[in-house]
Amino acid sequence: MDFIVNLASGFMNLFTLGGEQFMSWVTGIIPTILMLLVLMNAVIALAGAERVNKLATICTGNPILRYAVLPFVSAFMLGNPMALSMGKFMPEFYKPSYYAAATYHCHTNSGIFPHINASEIFIYLGIANGITALGLSTTPLAIRYLLVGIVCNFISGWATEFTTKMVEKQQGVRLSRELKKQAD
Amino acid sequence: MSEFRPVRVEKGLGGFGGPLIITPTEEKDKILYLTGGGVEPECLEKIVALSGLVPVNGFETSCPEEEIAAVIIDCGGTLRCGIYPKKRIPTINTNPVGKSGPLSQYIKEDIYVSGVTSRQIFAEDGREKENEKKQSFFDHPFDFFHQEPDPSIRTDRKITEILKEKKNKSLITRIGLTTGKVVATFNQAARDALQTCIATILPFMAFVSMLIGIINGSGIGEVLARLLTPLTGSIYGLVLLGVICSIPGLSALLGPGAVIAQIVGTLIGVEIGKGNIPPNLALPALFAINTQGACDFIPVGLGLAEAEIETVEVGVVSVMYSRFATGWIRVLIAYAASLGMYT
Repeated sequence: MDFIVNLASGFMNLFTLGGEQFMSWVTGIIPTILMLLVLMNAVIALAGAERVNKLATICTGNPILRYAVLPFVSAFMLGNPMALSMGKFMPEFYKPSYYAAATYHCHTNSGIFPHINASEIFIYLGIANGITALGLSTTPLAIRYLLVGIVCNFISGWATEFTTKMVEKQQGVRLSRELKKQAD
Repeated sequence: MSEFRPVRVEKGLGGFGGPLIITPTEEKDKILYLTGGGVEPECLEKIVALSGLVPVNGFETSCPEEEIAAVIIDCGGTLRCGIYPKKRIPTINTNPVGKSGPLSQYIKEDIYVSGVTSRQIFAEDGREKENEKKQSFFDHPFDFFHQEPDPSIRTDRKITEILKEKKNKSLITRIGLTTGKVVATFNQAARDALQTCIATILPFMAFVSMLIGIINGSGIGEVLARLLTPLTGSIYGLVLLGVICSIPGLSALLGPGAVIAQIVGTLIGVEIGKGNIPPNLALPALFAINTQGACDFIPVGLGLAEAEIETVEVGVVSVMYSRFATGWIRVLIAYAASLGMYT
């Protein structure tokens, strides 16, 4: 009988621990994220997505604008996954590279701006929680995540131009380097 | 009476619903507006000019419901936005408000459209659409507080007359309208934010909390820690983890919903919290667990970018290769940048 009682209480203990974890996250994380989300949603609604469209047409010509500036702004303004749609302003050849950069931007910037990728926030939060548990501030981590991200995402985007060339040769196709007449 | 023409109303920035086609007929020839205490909404004159509908100010007078072709409101999300959809009268809300309020279940895409300005009003023959698109794309940096009628509407003399009247709109009315719009926008932003929390963040928290409870309470945590610590407790292990996650093919399997990366991240966080992994390694770890980022999503993402089929075929392989080629570099750069953090 004792065995069954122990088993049952041990079983319940798993969920008590889980519940404690849940409560600490709900009270510790949700309020801040919620306030940030409210502000960011409002900023985005007031500034308008049309401005990003305009920026996108300017940014296609230069690798730094293409893989660091535009995906950063798109991620901030449009979030994951709509930031990826800005690739439509690129010539076909650059679309995979833009995708490679923009998807990473949706992660590396989400430490400071959780609205960018709220549904996948635990990649950052999971690790950041460890820092919190040590009684340290997560801000240095979030800022370095963003800064290193800008550099690395640019590298990843640009490198994709080379792998795209490689795959073009493998598959025997050539993607257009020119922008189609009307990017709509 | 033969001058009635259908108009198409699309949703504006942050708006919901639509596009609505409003077709005036002999019987239904009125457009009722209940906005700003009787102030004409900005989109009204374009609708009137294009459709030939008769505007009726709902704050001054009223008309039988059978005669109403559409209603324009500026509801912030409580009641008006639900009343007319409930009566199945096409409803145009100038504020970007989605399904909300006590009657939210009646607010549907086929009867309700929101966030509407004159830029979202088109003649149904499509001719207007071409012009409009070019305008808003290149000439108009969008100005949310722009209460003046759109300068592109110069097709009708009647409009210019109305425009003059509009200029006389009092300062107080303007301040009132602008404030209303800002408040409504923030209110909607809060609604969306809460929705995000409830729909995506809280469920994941619950799921991960349960996992952590089981892992910590059952002793599996000790086993996992023994496995994870050598891999994530040093930079060599992290580089290796980054390389493994980005192996083409495997990377696509690890991707969906970033669930695996999120769980691994949480486990690493637990170990950092216990002091088994030095805190400065948090930064390279963030990069290492996510080298596969979005490898499962490439065709969809390229589809969003309106890529051609050839581009998708090349892109899927190319992005996986580049993830593999640059993943470990990212971890190393992050490691270099993490030196001196939390010491």
